[in-house]
Amino acid sequence: MSFIGTELGAALVVILVGFLPNEIWRLLGVLFGRRIDENGLWMQWVRAVATALLAAVVARLLLVPNGALIALPLWLRIAAVAAGIGGFVGFRRSVLAGVLTAEAVLIAGAWWLSVG
Amino acid sequence: MNPVPDIPPSETISATRWFLRGMAGALAVPGFVLVATFVGFGGLLHDVGFPIGAGLLSTVLVWALPAQVILVGGIGAGAPLPAVALAVCLSGVRLLPMVVSLMPLMRGPRPRLFHEILCAHFVAVTMWVEALRLLPKVPPVGRPAYTIGLGTGLTVMSTGGTAFGYYLTNALPGPLAVALLLLTPISFTILLVRNAKAPVDWLAIGLGAAISPLAVNSPGGLDLFWAGVGGGTLAFLIARYGFRRAT
Repeated sequence: MSFIGTELGAALVVILVGFLPNEIWRLLGVLFGRRIDENGLWMQWVRAVATALLAAVVARLLLVPNGALIALPLWLRIAAVAAGIGGFVGFRRSVLAGVLTAEAVLIAGAWWLSVG
Repeated sequence: MNPVPDIPPSETISATRWFLRGMAGALAVPGFVLVATFVGFGGLLHDVGFPIGAGLLSTVLVWALPAQVILVGGIGAGAPLPAVALAVCLSGVRLLPMVVSLMPLMRGPRPRLFHEILCAHFVAVTMWVEALRLLPKVPPVGRPAYTIGLGTGLTVMSTGGTAFGYYLTNALPGPLAVALLLLTPISFTILLVRNAKAPVDWLAIGLGAAISPLAVNSPGGLDLFWAGVGGGTLAFLIARYGFRRAT
């Protein structure tokens, strides 16, 4: 962690652990894009894994946070996200409306409980 | 604001002009929502104590918020770097079909490999949606320059948002600082719901979310790996073989 704590060390980590493993897919898309069957079995599996991974990231941020979100009770975090989905579906599938609804519920809850 | 006025397609409009029009095209609602999520990412950087310079570099170079959150969150949780790299790599897979489907639109009539690689670098969820909306109105000659302009505009705005979020966290009162940290998970949740169409998508969302908290203390810091690969594979198998047997 001390190595990552410095700007230079962290920049190296960003390049080696963040940039390269991520950019490889864009490069492969350019080089082999014309030969890849987007709806092939392999791609279907790959998309399912990517979706599950993103859902796992969200669940981890919400259910087992390691920062300031810990101060809020679990039910409030879940209620805010549920409200966000409701806002998104209710207001003609607008991403902005969903985000604003979730934030309104969270801020009201945090203010009411006077935490944060 | 209409970034693509109805000018007859001609060679007289230089690449620089198309680049600038692309940058102007970034100033739309999806771009502003994207900036807001990067403000949230800036808050996350501050929350886990990640250096701001490297955090801004991740916005410019990685340019994919899920990968950045996995990177910063994983390091913050003390996961070993190879495990983080693996999780980042798996999360980036979804960029491949986006690049493949967008490339014919971005390429222009005289493709050059370097331009294609640069265009592909900017491909991420918002860019994908916006490019599909804006590029058909741009004549093919101007498309590579327009794409690079659009991507640059979104990147500059998002980098500003990241810095803003990082420094804003200190200045905000409690409930608002916490609200900043909710921006990332809520926008990801809505994107997942928006993109989910087939049963396999819903299964992958449910299984990934369910396995993730259970696997939090798995050895080697591989919890995201198990939730992603395990949940995704299970969803794929159930959708492919489970339903068929049931019907």
